[in-house]
Amino acid sequence: MITNQASANSLPLIRPEINYSRRKLANKLMLSFTGLLTLAALAPLVWIIGFVAIKGSQTITWAFFTQLPRPLGMAGGGVLNAIEGTLILTIIAAFFAIPPGILAAIYVADHPNTPLGASVRFSTDVLSGVPSIIVGLFGYALVVKTQGHYSALAGGLALAIIMFPIIVRTTEEMIKLTPRNLREGSLALGAPEWKTYLSVILPAAIKGIITGILLAVARASGETAPLLFTALGNERYEIGQIISSGIRSRQGVWSIFNRIIEQPVDSLPLTLFKYSQQPYPERVNQAWAAALVLIGIILALNIIARLWVNYSSSNLKGK
Amino acid sequence: MHHSKTTVLALVLLASVLLAACAPAAQPVEIIKTVQVEVTKMVQGTPQVEVQVITATPEMKPTDLPAGSVTINGAGATFPLPVYTEWNYAFQYVDPAVVINYQGIGSGGGKKGIIDRTIDYAGSDSLLKDEEYEKGGDLQMLPILAGAVVPIYNIEGVTKTLTLDANTLAGIYSGAIKNWNDEAIQALNPELAAQLPDKAITAVHRSDGSGTTEIFTKFLAAANEAWKAAPGAGSAIEWPVDKAGNGIGGKGNQGVAVNVLNTKNSIGYVELSYALANKIAFAQMVNASGQPVKADADSLASAIADFSSAFTDKLTTDIVNGSGAGSWPIAGYTYIILHMNSMEDCLKAQKVVEYLKWALTDPAAAGRAADLGYTVLPSAVQEKVLAKLAEVTCNGQPVLTK
Amino acid sequence: MQPIQMRAVSLNTSSLSYKIRKQLRYGDKPWSGLLIGMAGLVVLLMFAIGLLIWNGSAEARLQAGLAFILPTLDASWNPITENYQAWPFIYGTLATSISALAIALPISLGIAVFLSELCPEWLRQPLGWMVELLAAIPSVIYGLWGIYIFLPQIVAPLGSLMSEVFGSLPALGLLFSGSIPESGQSRLAAALILSIMITPTIAAVTRDVLLAISSSQREAAFALGSTQWETIWQVLLPYGLSGILGAVILGLGRALGETMAVTMVIGNSIEGSASLLRPGYTMSSVIANEFAEAYNAMHTSALIYVSVILFILSVLINILARLMVWRVARQTPQEARA
Repeated sequence: MITNQASANSLPLIRPEINYSRRKLANKLMLSFTGLLTLAALAPLVWIIGFVAIKGSQTITWAFFTQLPRPLGMAGGGVLNAIEGTLILTIIAAFFAIPPGILAAIYVADHPNTPLGASVRFSTDVLSGVPSIIVGLFGYALVVKTQGHYSALAGGLALAIIMFPIIVRTTEEMIKLTPRNLREGSLALGAPEWKTYLSVILPAAIKGIITGILLAVARASGETAPLLFTALGNERYEIGQIISSGIRSRQGVWSIFNRIIEQPVDSLPLTLFKYSQQPYPERVNQAWAAALVLIGIILALNIIARLWVNYSSSNLKGK
Repeated sequence: MHHSKTTVLALVLLASVLLAACAPAAQPVEIIKTVQVEVTKMVQGTPQVEVQVITATPEMKPTDLPAGSVTINGAGATFPLPVYTEWNYAFQYVDPAVVINYQGIGSGGGKKGIIDRTIDYAGSDSLLKDEEYEKGGDLQMLPILAGAVVPIYNIEGVTKTLTLDANTLAGIYSGAIKNWNDEAIQALNPELAAQLPDKAITAVHRSDGSGTTEIFTKFLAAANEAWKAAPGAGSAIEWPVDKAGNGIGGKGNQGVAVNVLNTKNSIGYVELSYALANKIAFAQMVNASGQPVKADADSLASAIADFSSAFTDKLTTDIVNGSGAGSWPIAGYTYIILHMNSMEDCLKAQKVVEYLKWALTDPAAAGRAADLGYTVLPSAVQEKVLAKLAEVTCNGQPVLTK
Repeated sequence: MQPIQMRAVSLNTSSLSYKIRKQLRYGDKPWSGLLIGMAGLVVLLMFAIGLLIWNGSAEARLQAGLAFILPTLDASWNPITENYQAWPFIYGTLATSISALAIALPISLGIAVFLSELCPEWLRQPLGWMVELLAAIPSVIYGLWGIYIFLPQIVAPLGSLMSEVFGSLPALGLLFSGSIPESGQSRLAAALILSIMITPTIAAVTRDVLLAISSSQREAAFALGSTQWETIWQVLLPYGLSGILGAVILGLGRALGETMAVTMVIGNSIEGSASLLRPGYTMSSVIANEFAEAYNAMHTSALIYVSVILFILSVLINILARLMVWRVARQTPQEARA
């Protein structure tokens, strides 16, 4: 479609203006085509979100955010357990996926041609294709069976496995794209490797790394299948209650913390899936509302993270 | 900057360590002499709470546990999920100490969980196999509810209720009967014969394994010899209509319902509650005694009654294709699975058994199940189940003392 | 490189404690130990999962052997007679994933190019957020939107159009034979929805890759007289090829492993037709559908065997992609590579 330089040079030397105008035309066409493609990609987004918003906003009330589920026929009821569950699962997953992921990516970016480096790249690519239900199975065998009960910890670990390849891959690519002279300059000034990475290279690549993390978090918080086998679901999970009852019965911080992460938990996609499978229209409506809440949370996370990165990197730019 | 961050972190750690160390040992539980208990009666789905004051006598086990201190986890079949959710919610008013959490992850997940002991009780539509009984040790299935599976349809131009029987259903799902105006269907529906269009039938089945499919295919196998030979009965089978090019698999009862609603001239099978809630037309069936029946509480009760003495010693039975005049032919029990003797936490064991006993005997609980389209056990069967519950032991002692 | 001594000079430089403190202050050895540990963790994870599914599938592998995966026109998946052939699922996964990638790749590249090169500065962030938001939508929602709206309104008419236009062509016609079911459930539907789902991943990462390429490359190309498009196509995209390939692999991984959305729109039927317009089945779908309520231990084992095949397929695709990158990288001048 596009002439490369060789064939352009082999054209008979007609007046260069015609060749140039052909190239200009091709340029304009392709560039406006990309604009069209962007619009085409955003159309489903607007459509889906519009669909979810219209269906979900009918059922969203303040009670939806602040109450636990109630049986059919009772007024009120909400998905507070699912919102808190989603947050807890995401925090646990991020805790287990982000630091090891970034560190592994640093290793691969540093030593791409060693056996270990090549194997890590290979492993992340393979891991990204594992069906999420198998990850759930793995989490079941590793954590649930050994502990003897379903828990938020198991769910968080399964989600961490799903987040892992995305974080490693994007971080690795972003590190590779930072200019070499940054690294060499820092090392030349006597900084040790770890300081070079933490203070110089990672901040330089932070925007791309944040993209990777946000994509991973978005993916993980929308997953249902792995949680079926690890976190199970729990209609009565409420962190405020756990903390206050723990304080009242004088339990220690560690024991309260334990009760928060060692119980089965619900999450918004899990609740959404369960409700959408039920016959009762009230539940299906609640499913849409839960979807709207989930999308809202992810959007908020996105915006906050980006703004924070912009703010901190604009501080850096001044220096 | 760094220093202050480190200091703060160290202080936080120190504080939490001190807090944990200084927290006093759990207070010994005081036996309360009088107890105020809130009892919930469910009226039309709205709980009406009344407060009773109970004086504890030495023989009584008072509710001296802090509210919400015993958590019981159950998982399994999605078929009875709406009822179990209601029961769990109501039970927190009956016994505030207990929190019951039941999740519908599928009968297979429930069976796996109870064998692995990751849950306290399981719900299942499909029966345990011999190898699963062996792996689990002392598992017992207890029938709790019965439900009906109904054929739903969406035919252009047909407004009255369709009547089908086992042979026509088997024919449709094996691809032998291709069009809606087939003679076999016309024979069963003389008044509709003119309205039935000459269009191909799209047969929607379940794509995921499920107890609903198991009940449906068990019925077809029991009533139709050809189906019994192939493909047979199970929670997931190979549907001949797929090969014939007219089959669609829908995920979950809801998936089948939506498919039928969106596809003209289609047929599917779902649990009764889905048909009622989504207001989809569902067919009458000609049962084993030759009578056309509609699916409702009475025909379901008749189906249960046909098999009330057919229980094996494992307390399981199929209730398809009953011979009673008014029996709905496509019905099935849903079961709870428990460990009989080897539960480790005796308090949990006691609470689970008390919950099940309450669910089986409380009239409000039964009424709520009926409102949702399910049928509770008739007294003959209920007695058997209660007798089994009395046999549950923990550490050698029977769990149910009342 | 002489380390700058910041402390007083009276040190016993030969003592063990000094040597240890020196190491810890610079922290190089613990650092590389940590890195190697984390890298090893990733590889260990892959092996652990591989081992789990290899063990779990032992029963089915012994019984079904290689006949499980061979292409056959008359495949059967019957848990009751224990006759399992996974070819329809393999074909379904390949057909839908490759089609999804073929649709998503140009769109994602277009988006990435637009966002990084052409978009006005003030529009870049919000548009970027919107594209990434596509990744945040749970797959169940894609499925529900699909069956309620997308399939009846877009896919079904599109499918009828395609069967008219392409159905009678000689070779390509096989892919478009038959007519699309009225509900729109088909491999085509799955491919379209998958392409929407993987676009944000590929687009967002490619955009970041393009943004990270230093402007000296662009300026050099402009100095030589290229138009903007020629710069993008001939300089920037090849320069970022490794990163773009990473994005594509991530997207493909998502497509291969996606279960919920696909299973709701693909029709879940084993028909024996190769057409994109007919209902199909994918490996992830069958696992997700049948696992929770598997008929017996052999059924479970067969499903895990299917996941082994998916795993191996993933490995093969990765090896193929690596080979392609290696061949292209050989042709790119050395200084251009990071």
